[in-house]
Amino acid sequence: MKLFDFVRERQWIPITGYLIYVSALTAGYYYNLTFVQLGLTDLGTREIGMAPEDVSIVMAVLALLTLVAAVGSGLVMDRRGWSTDLYVKFRLLFLIILVQLLLTIVAPFISTVEQFVLWVVVCSATLGLGIPVTFSFMLDFIPVRDRGYVAAVVAGLSFFVAALYPVEWRIDEFSLVMSAMMVPAVLILAVLSVKRFAFIDVLAGQHERSTFGVGRFCRPTSVRTLSVAFWGPVLLMFGVFFIDSLGFLRIIEEPLYIYTSWQSPDLSVRVFIAVLHVVGALAAGVLYTYFDRNWVFFWVFGLFAFTHLLYVFDIRFGIGETPALILPMFYVLAVSFYTTLNFALWPDLSTTETIGTHTALGVGIAGWLATFMSTALALYSEGIGLPLGGHLAYVNALSLLFIVALPVLLYVHRIFELARGEVSS
Amino acid sequence: MNLELIPLLIIVLLMISAGGVDVETTEFVIEGDHEITEHRGALIVGDATVTIPDDETISGPVYVIGGEFQIHGEVEGDVTQLSGSLVVEDGGTIDGELQHIGGSEEFADEAAIAERSTVEFAPAEPGPIAAYTPVVLTTLFLSLVGAWFSRKRPALLENVGTTARDHPVISLTVGALLSVTFLAVFVFMAFTLVLFPVSILGLLIGLVTIAYGIVALGYLAGKRLDTPRVGLATGLGVVGIMVLLQVVGAIPILGDLIAGGLLLIGLGAVVVTYFGLQEFEPVSLPE
Repeated sequence: MKLFDFVRERQWIPITGYLIYVSALTAGYYYNLTFVQLGLTDLGTREIGMAPEDVSIVMAVLALLTLVAAVGSGLVMDRRGWSTDLYVKFRLLFLIILVQLLLTIVAPFISTVEQFVLWVVVCSATLGLGIPVTFSFMLDFIPVRDRGYVAAVVAGLSFFVAALYPVEWRIDEFSLVMSAMMVPAVLILAVLSVKRFAFIDVLAGQHERSTFGVGRFCRPTSVRTLSVAFWGPVLLMFGVFFIDSLGFLRIIEEPLYIYTSWQSPDLSVRVFIAVLHVVGALAAGVLYTYFDRNWVFFWVFGLFAFTHLLYVFDIRFGIGETPALILPMFYVLAVSFYTTLNFALWPDLSTTETIGTHTALGVGIAGWLATFMSTALALYSEGIGLPLGGHLAYVNALSLLFIVALPVLLYVHRIFELARGEVSS
Repeated sequence: MNLELIPLLIIVLLMISAGGVDVETTEFVIEGDHEITEHRGALIVGDATVTIPDDETISGPVYVIGGEFQIHGEVEGDVTQLSGSLVVEDGGTIDGELQHIGGSEEFADEAAIAERSTVEFAPAEPGPIAAYTPVVLTTLFLSLVGAWFSRKRPALLENVGTTARDHPVISLTVGALLSVTFLAVFVFMAFTLVLFPVSILGLLIGLVTIAYGIVALGYLAGKRLDTPRVGLATGLGVVGIMVLLQVVGAIPILGDLIAGGLLLIGLGAVVVTYFGLQEFEPVSLPE
């Protein structure tokens, strides 16, 4: 790891960059995992009294608006050169966290549907802006060599903490934790927004070095936005997020599954899940660093297919007893795998000129649009009375389809390359 | 479903295959209450309550690995009970042999059982010779295979060994992922009954791959002996690795982790080098 070289050479400024990146992204993703994805559901259903279907529609709208805001801000950031201006990004992040802090504080006091919708619109705008701002930090702080590991640390830490605390998925619990977490961040970013520091100047210039500024998959030639090299991974990540969300949305509605795993009153079960998240993320980090990225995709689809097979099996043949921990175990592994991939992939498909656009499109389409569509589809399947077993059988089929499609598409792509004479046989 | 049934199911399926019964006609009752009035082929009772009503006859054999099996009518074949509960009511008949291995049993006064046997497992610790004979035989076999293979195809073992030495983290990661995933996949394949042979084949391939990894690690250890006799060095290296596994395995928890890690490194190194046919080259990243 390059980090060890920095430590050996006592280069503390690049090391500070690692710490800033891990802190910012871990906190941001923890916020997204808990407050946004789980807290808002509780706010809509329990506090406001909306029907679960209506809350899901609002959540889907949030996902769609976030995508629009992310793509818009990503394009603007690249065109104006903000993607490579660390001080501008600190100011934008200060603005984002300040607004989110206010939103988090007022969230438990929202009592009408209109207030809820307005809250969601403002939240999605800042979340969307946050995607290119935070994901592009990778080019400023983390050299290409270490991105897999650092992405693994961010994914593992976020899931580890989220699996353990808070236990109750309630908006007031989330609000308290998040507010306490955001206040110091706002203060630090406020200072960084108005005052220049020598060590920040050094960090701000790191992206000019090729070991930082040129992504792994942009060597020797950069990946164009309108290319298969970019949209192929977008499609695959879209499939991953879609499969995960489509399955998980229905699983968490089953008390038998959720209260024996993610929300188990037994601490040892939650610790098991938390530790497994870290192990899975680190394994994904190793695979991402040393193997072709398609192997990681292949593992992710394989793990999801097997996970849903286990759930379908348990639903069909289980007798209502406590499901085995092997079910959430494979789910956790798959989720940690693709989350690690998601943090590292988009910066590695980018250069300083395209980082804002690529991270916005990648995370926006693969993450948020997939969530929007899977939410809508999960609602539809629930509306037509499709049982959980049948629903998961479709999700499983989708995973298997991607497992088959991935090598086929790679093979076809290779044929086209050979036919065009782009590569030697 | 109770996953503790899985090992018992595997044992039963092996017994069925060994007994020459057609696996395709085997029925596995996993859950719920069932009255069975007609069945040909083997019947496996899982986490279910299965009843043979009065005046009804099934052919058997029947294997009880969980739940409850109540006989009011007649079982023409053998009944083997590994776990769960067996109840033979008045008028209930077992024409074959009732083999009791585990679980509870209850017989009414008028129950008719042609033949009964009980398999007792000696709870006492086996003696040192009995305990270590399989390990010694395995070590001997692997060292002989290693000695022969290192003379015939040293390049293969060189590739695997070098990868295990130079890339232990990668090998460990790949080995751990493969073992966890494929072990679970093969166990679930066994549940389908139809894929049971594939499941057993997969597990065997897994064991062979782990053994290959041990031989490669032995080759690596043998190189340290600095002798031109590659076969002898590898054989001794394999013995060394096996002894090391036994010694560290004696340390609770940590020893098991070290031994497991070593085996997984070997497994991962075998896989990423395509059984030694290709040197492992990680993707190149800028320094």
